[in-house]
Amino acid sequence: MPKKTTVPGSLKNVTCPETGKIIGFQFDVRLPRYRGNMVSLINGYYVNVDGVEYPQDKIRFILNGKAPRTFEELKSAVWEHWNYRDAATLLVLKDGGLEKGDHVVNATVSNFEQYGYMPGRDEKRVADGGEPIVANPVGVGQSAAQSFVLTIE
Amino acid sequence: MAIHRGVSSYSYQNLIFDNKMNHRDFIRTVREDLDTDGIELIDETFIDDYPFLSEEFEYDWKDTIARYNMKSVTMDIYLDVLQFRDHVMNHEEATERLKRDIIIASRLGFENVRCLAATPVDVIEAALPTAEKYNVRIGQEIHAPLPLVVNPDTVNRLHFTAPIDEVDRVIEMIERTGTKHAGLVPDMGLFQHSLTPIMFEFALRSGCPAESVAFLKEKKGTMPDADLKVIMSEKFGEETVAKMARLITTQGSAKPEELLKVCPYIVSIHGKFYEMVEDPTAPGGYYDPSTNYAEIFKYLKEGGFDGYIDSELEGQGYCNDLPDDQMQDEREQVRRQHEMFKALGAV
Repeated sequence: MPKKTTVPGSLKNVTCPETGKIIGFQFDVRLPRYRGNMVSLINGYYVNVDGVEYPQDKIRFILNGKAPRTFEELKSAVWEHWNYRDAATLLVLKDGGLEKGDHVVNATVSNFEQYGYMPGRDEKRVADGGEPIVANPVGVGQSAAQSFVLTIE
Repeated sequence: MAIHRGVSSYSYQNLIFDNKMNHRDFIRTVREDLDTDGIELIDETFIDDYPFLSEEFEYDWKDTIARYNMKSVTMDIYLDVLQFRDHVMNHEEATERLKRDIIIASRLGFENVRCLAATPVDVIEAALPTAEKYNVRIGQEIHAPLPLVVNPDTVNRLHFTAPIDEVDRVIEMIERTGTKHAGLVPDMGLFQHSLTPIMFEFALRSGCPAESVAFLKEKKGTMPDADLKVIMSEKFGEETVAKMARLITTQGSAKPEELLKVCPYIVSIHGKFYEMVEDPTAPGGYYDPSTNYAEIFKYLKEGGFDGYIDSELEGQGYCNDLPDDQMQDEREQVRRQHEMFKALGAV
């Protein structure tokens, strides 16, 4: 079900404390469902800002007070829970960050929480990460993130 | 013997998502809004750091239940078989998860756990010693499009992995083992006969042409879903049909009288609904335009059901695109459903 999964007021540029340079931008996301799940099940994020897609290797995931992690690193978080009411932060690496003002942000999660066994698809998801991470076309009552305008003050 | 009323936390999912309802608010709301005591919990909604249930949450949950004189009826549990990512969880590992969930439910005072319809029956059977030790019943959810009765006319429309005769397999296991700690949790979406107004309104807002929505409204249920899909594709194009795919294929999979077959095995019931509508013939009364609850209650009584029916509101997904003040009022919807439950004879 579509929910407001990008958190208003959370978009900001990120400055490296050592070099003083802006290395990217970040914003907060919530799980789009009605329950939390294991962090290991987070396969990746489709991130599109102002029409520009950002590849998985440019995105870092921040949750539970831990240092930013790649999606590859999340695979081993098999006993760590993403609590339902917590927001995670997506850090997107982009030299210079974003300009001040409004930006249209879409962040759709690829989440391997599912309704029990799905023979065939399960094995594929283990073998190669499964399907490509793209924003799904939205059908009535189906889940996909909506785009929201977030502002860099 | 009586039909008791309860609520699943699923019903208040938007209030919870928006941090307007914590576990204490949930329990208090059921008491104060509905004057009843049944509580059903989606485990990973409120249990932080699952599966490592903290003593603080355990004590707080039980104290809140005690404060408002409530009852922890059923805890809804899940089965994420890709948790370990480097392999698909095998049935032995799935059993370990189920056993852990039973212990969590027991610590929180629940009488039952509800496992997914897609949980293999051998996993349930393997967890029975734990269920018996902790005196927690395992209820397998029976959800559309699973049928209650398989006959030569049964069409297999399953979109999740379960044998079409899942109900018979669970009953066979119960009879063979003689266990008192396994059963069924039927979801009343099994008996959905119609789409509801909010679904059509959502389809219109999603950009489906008015003619296509009117056609769906008129023809839904008059022919097999697959045929309707083909006809609608020809008339309105693939894009529109893709947007309405879920509406075209959403339907019940059982008849209320078939409840008589499963009544002796029911652990608790999911009172699935999408919206409650004011009954024009009875001021202050409400009815469910998608599901005939009067028939359901008739057969539950005839079958001697003694237990809880827990509200499970699922209309939010058809309203979440609206401004906050036009979204579904979850508390009001649940209140209306309980007015109906009471009118139909629930205590």
